[in-house]
Amino acid sequence: MNELIEVDEILSKKNKFNQTNIPKTLLLIDHKQEIAMHKYRLLPLVTVCIFFAIPNIFAQKVNEFPKKTDPLYKKVEMFDRLMLGNHWNEGAIMQHVIFPPAGLEQPIVGSQADCLDPTSEMLAAYSHKYAITKDTKDRKIANEIFEAILKLEKVTGVAGLVARSFNKTNEPLWHEEVMWYHEWHQSTSMPGYRWLGDLSADKFTSIFYGVGTFWELCADTEYKDKAAALLDRFIGRVVDNNFKLTDLDGKMTLWGNFCPNLPHQELNSLEMLAALKVTHHITGKERYNAAYHMLIDRYHYDDHQINSKILFPKEWRNVGDDYHAARSLYMIMRLETDPNLLNKYRMNLNRHWYDWKDIDFTWESNIWFLMVYKVLTGEDIFTEEKKQGIKDMWGFERNTREFKIPQKDGSFKMVRSEEERTAAAMIRNYWFGRYYGIIDEKW
Amino acid sequence: MNPMKIALSFLILIISLHHAVGQEKPTPPEGMVYVPAGEFIMGSTYGDPDERPQQIASTKAFCIDKYEVSNAEFAEFDPTFKFPPEKKNNAVIVTWSKANAYAKWAGKRLPTEKEWEKAARGIDGRVFPWGDTYDNTYVVWDQKETRGASIAKPASPYGCYDMAGSVWEWTSDWYKPYPGNKVPMEQYGETYKVMRGGSNFNNHSFIRTSQRYYVLPEKIHVYPVGIRCVKDIN
Repeated sequence: MNELIEVDEILSKKNKFNQTNIPKTLLLIDHKQEIAMHKYRLLPLVTVCIFFAIPNIFAQKVNEFPKKTDPLYKKVEMFDRLMLGNHWNEGAIMQHVIFPPAGLEQPIVGSQADCLDPTSEMLAAYSHKYAITKDTKDRKIANEIFEAILKLEKVTGVAGLVARSFNKTNEPLWHEEVMWYHEWHQSTSMPGYRWLGDLSADKFTSIFYGVGTFWELCADTEYKDKAAALLDRFIGRVVDNNFKLTDLDGKMTLWGNFCPNLPHQELNSLEMLAALKVTHHITGKERYNAAYHMLIDRYHYDDHQINSKILFPKEWRNVGDDYHAARSLYMIMRLETDPNLLNKYRMNLNRHWYDWKDIDFTWESNIWFLMVYKVLTGEDIFTEEKKQGIKDMWGFERNTREFKIPQKDGSFKMVRSEEERTAAAMIRNYWFGRYYGIIDEKW
Repeated sequence: MNPMKIALSFLILIISLHHAVGQEKPTPPEGMVYVPAGEFIMGSTYGDPDERPQQIASTKAFCIDKYEVSNAEFAEFDPTFKFPPEKKNNAVIVTWSKANAYAKWAGKRLPTEKEWEKAARGIDGRVFPWGDTYDNTYVVWDQKETRGASIAKPASPYGCYDMAGSVWEWTSDWYKPYPGNKVPMEQYGETYKVMRGGSNFNNHSFIRTSQRYYVLPEKIHVYPVGIRCVKDIN
């Protein structure tokens, strides 16, 4: 039987505590001073204060949201603070945050299957930002996000096997049971951590796009070496397994098929070629160039990838897949020099443009498609209306809803909590646009 | 097709013809198709390690459901089962014990892996139920769509639909290695049941007829697993 826990009152008390801009440590000092003044009279209160204050320190969150009417740079600045403050999980950026009482207190937990998307977006964002500002603080944040991707590899205990996400916990968390496939493992290489396996082609793209951009624009010599070594292990493992993403059990993951001997989506052919091109560029290792040309010469991936975009029937058009195509085309078309191959990638881009040219700016990644198109073709496609669409970019609202939380006896409890989605794509779009001169800093 | 595969197919064809001469094809119950006794090519040389070794396997004759069991059909067995009215003809998604109970109630049973694979690919070792070439229009991809709603509507060699895509399908077997398979898997044993056929939420390779996937029988999480029953021939 479902049990409803009403926690609005608790939440409003916590928020009141959190909404102040005074750091929690100072608040504790204030408490101490107050206690000293009423040393004996308020002794019972001390226990109560400590009891409530300690969990609140961990439940601290950034609460300041921009207004829709704020200029773009201010909206980006504030969403950036929200992302780094509320979504930061040891450098990995959480796609979905559920606050207490349904979520954990530290790190705050939500569904985590797609964490590599916002993580790579924030890595790219800070890489573009650093390329503009040359501020060491921005580079440090990018380095920390990159280190989290390294940790996603380390936590699996297998060189080149990258997790979808991790949590510092010894116990399975409730969302493991109900959000995404049950592919959580206790880490043996990092005791005290659990990690989510079954990496997909989408997250594969996030890795070579994010790490490739970091290497290109932000990493110093030490981090360039680390980035190259990571891609060498990660892409190398896929190549060694006949172009399949394989999991800890040795089986191909549900969405990990780039194999020339198995039927796979045209989009996967594009993603594999892009990954090999980036990895060859970064590592300088001939094996990746050889693999790239083998897939083209023997298996015709260059022809296969042209139809990455399904145009008809119209209801099969998938803007989610377009995002992975856009990232792949952005990486591969800037590195490829063979005019014949470039022509084929341009044919792929043209098929996407057929749909993108009339696309509504319904989510932030849509806006990025057009930026990528402009960067790759040089065509001036930004009308005043589209520019306004960029200025109107938005991150997320904080919502409150009920979560159905499984209990050990098989029943469920309904718990009301606040949640946040991600603004990483918006922040990446902004710094990408600034870097390529599409966005004016005064917007 | 490699020469070994051609030779195996030819051999099986001869054996099957020999069997067929002496066999009378029974009329299958309504909604089912007949699969004759005999040998077929099982497993693959190119898929996951658990599909190996490719082998000649055999089954007795049996009948198998033409389509996956629908929500409405399952609700006849379990009146407490709820589903949106517009999805009455979609494939039902249930745990193994519920699937098994439904099959018994219907006077049928869940197929073994061998039976499922033979019904899906026939005797010639084909990659998909319709042949070796993939096409999006052959498969029910969209969860909004009902059973048998792929654009091209290709059937398996015995006349089954949706054995590739739509929902995964339960088998009666535990996840165990094929005889002669030396690749260790900690999941082998009597913890996981095998599901077959792939679903509308995985890559194209998972809808191959030889693809095996393991899942806890009572905790399917977000795996869409459904039912296709078989019936013995007396």
